Amino acid sequence: MHVLASFEWSVIWDSQGALWGGFKHTMKAGVVGIVLAYLVGLVLGALRAHRIPILNQLAASYVELIRNTPILVQIFFLYYGLPVLGIHLDVFTVAWLSITIWGGAFMTENFRAGFEAVPQRLSEAGYALGFTRLQEFLYVTLPIGGRIALPSTINSAISVIKNTSLLLLIGYPELTYVANNIQSNTFRTFEMFTALAVYYLAIVWTLSALIRFLERRLALPEAF
Amino acid sequence: MNPLPEWFRPVSEYILREGVPETLRMAAIAVVASLVIGVVLGTLMTIRFRPLQWLIRFYVEVWRGLPILVTVLFIFWLPAFDVGRHHVQLSAYQSAALALTLWGSAQVAEATRGAVQSIPNEQHEAAAALGFGWVGRQTFVILPQALRRMVPPLVGLLVNTIQNTTIAFAIGVNEVLQAGQRQFENVTSGLTGQPVAPSYAPFLIFGYVALLFFIICFPLTRLAAYLEKRLT
Amino acid sequence: MKRLVVLTIVLGLVVAAAVAATFGSAAPARGVSPQAKLPPKPKLPALPAAVKARGKWLIGVKCDTPPFGWQDTSGKNRGYDVEVARQFAKWAFGSTSKVDFTCVTTASRIGTLTSGRVDIIISTLTWTADREKVIDYSVPYYNAAGRLLVKNNVAVGKLATWMPGKKIVSTSGSIYDRWIKNCFKNTSFQVVSSPAAGVLAVKNDQANAMMYDDAFLVGVAANDSSLKLSSNIFLKVPWGVGIRKNEPDMKRWVDAAVRGMRNRDLFWSILKRTIPRRFWKTFRPNAPSPAHKLQYPRSSPPENNCPS
Repeated sequence: MHVLASFEWSVIWDSQGALWGGFKHTMKAGVVGIVLAYLVGLVLGALRAHRIPILNQLAASYVELIRNTPILVQIFFLYYGLPVLGIHLDVFTVAWLSITIWGGAFMTENFRAGFEAVPQRLSEAGYALGFTRLQEFLYVTLPIGGRIALPSTINSAISVIKNTSLLLLIGYPELTYVANNIQSNTFRTFEMFTALAVYYLAIVWTLSALIRFLERRLALPEAF
Repeated sequence: MNPLPEWFRPVSEYILREGVPETLRMAAIAVVASLVIGVVLGTLMTIRFRPLQWLIRFYVEVWRGLPILVTVLFIFWLPAFDVGRHHVQLSAYQSAALALTLWGSAQVAEATRGAVQSIPNEQHEAAAALGFGWVGRQTFVILPQALRRMVPPLVGLLVNTIQNTTIAFAIGVNEVLQAGQRQFENVTSGLTGQPVAPSYAPFLIFGYVALLFFIICFPLTRLAAYLEKRLT
Repeated sequence: MKRLVVLTIVLGLVVAAAVAATFGSAAPARGVSPQAKLPPKPKLPALPAAVKARGKWLIGVKCDTPPFGWQDTSGKNRGYDVEVARQFAKWAFGSTSKVDFTCVTTASRIGTLTSGRVDIIISTLTWTADREKVIDYSVPYYNAAGRLLVKNNVAVGKLATWMPGKKIVSTSGSIYDRWIKNCFKNTSFQVVSSPAAGVLAVKNDQANAMMYDDAFLVGVAANDSSLKLSSNIFLKVPWGVGIRKNEPDMKRWVDAAVRGMRNRDLFWSILKRTIPRRFWKTFRPNAPSPAHKLQYPRSSPPENNCPS
């Protein structure tokens, strides 16, 4: 393929500044989205695991709604639909909000599974020590269940970062948006794809390595 | 009595008639192809031959690691090329289906590897004792057991693939979301002869698109959860 | 009635004379009424071999951009660009149905052409010097102009004084994008994902105005009493059929076909077929005709042309 033969590093080099700008936008939306998704997941996951009436059902409906519709449709719905309700958001807000709502649903499930995996006898031991429900959660379920859930939540966080690429379709100038723009002017497909791949794989593989590291470090003793 | 507004009926019919089959067909193609490629790669990964393992691991990590949109755009951007005597030129639809397959086959390969390795070694040995070669062992003894364990995640893959067809929106494939967008433009422009829609139109159109996906995906996620429960 | 006929004939003669005078050297033997005398089909050069062998066209058109390329609710491709493609099919193969349409988007259209997925693109493709480095353009077949869509109570006046401090939306990669960056440093520009999204932004006060092609905005403003077009008209740049570089046969055929359509005033017939009658007057100058040939602004890039 002659395309490979004519690979021009200078194309990547010349667009380095623009790509870096896109990367910063990706990280900005991604980090805000991940942090908030963790918060949503922790709170709703706890509500679900402890079967708090009404709130549990509401959280379950939210999770099912988000898991069974494409995130891109959710982004469009927020982008076009919310203004109809009189809620006017700028693109950045729609960006982090949409990935938070999506990531929050998946993290709710991650944390619920983690909390539910905490053996019954441990929380009973907590109550025996005179813990209130909140204390039991904070000192028993959260540390143990959170540990169990951590690797799967990082997987969700990885998906949140990958999903920021979809924000190109509402005009948020993240990494894919920038690369797509450059390629539609220069037609240097391979160069732009290589640059994109390096950026995304660097983020994703770093986080995957973190999962493996944590899985080893935080592995619960056999007794559990 | 139809409670839906007059302008919406042809719009919803268009999405249902044009968009839904396009989405389902693409998902079906991608899932079947992912299954075939993924099971082969996943089984090969269990062979203790390092270079092959590394190669497949690289394939899996790359296509799983990249956002699918990036893969879709890349394949779509590729200029035509020749493979032997064949002039290969993928349409937008084919590009998207291929991208979904690369991603899906990476998922299946990983799942297959896990499932195959979870089959106790005694099974291999028993099959060998019966006189099966490697291929026979895999085909008749190991894979049937491994595949049973993979059914719930495979239903999950189907759900994800159906949802991910929306990414083909970016290159103009008329899947459900694109179908909704086209009609949204039509009812906004006032030049198509279609009645002009009120300002809540996007709420209704994209809400309808979301509803269609929910109707398709919700039973499947329930099924996956049920199968998962039955298996354990 | 009789008076009308006479008037028409007189007018026709005047126009014909004017045309003959202006383009005398190009059409020396065309007598009084060039349109009437032209055969229904122009003499066209040979079709490019690949197209001829296939027996039909593969043409990229928009499917989300009324009134140029869109799909009606029955799934049929409609619009000005689509009709131009059908005319090409009629002249190439004797039937308007000898064409397969590929839906392209603004972002995908040039890639779809250069990668060889289609023969040509007729997809609202504004001429720019940058694009002309990558693809060839046919002679122009439509003349677009930029307009501003604003809320009904907004008075714009002169652009140079109104624009600073305002928030303007348009689609990404458009000529308006570059024009605003070049000429209005203190104007904030926001990309929207589609024309309809831009309309919503103005309606919902997320932006002061949407800057876009007149054809789309005229329809929107006419149908929404809360919106209007300002009187400013800017960035008149023609559209062309996109052709791959180094395909002289293709360029020769398409150019001849576009000229043939222009000389028979077919673009105007097509425009009349594709937009509601109340907009005809507004759009008449946008279609090229025997008396109104369009030209690309090759000598001065329009996006660098700032209003004072």
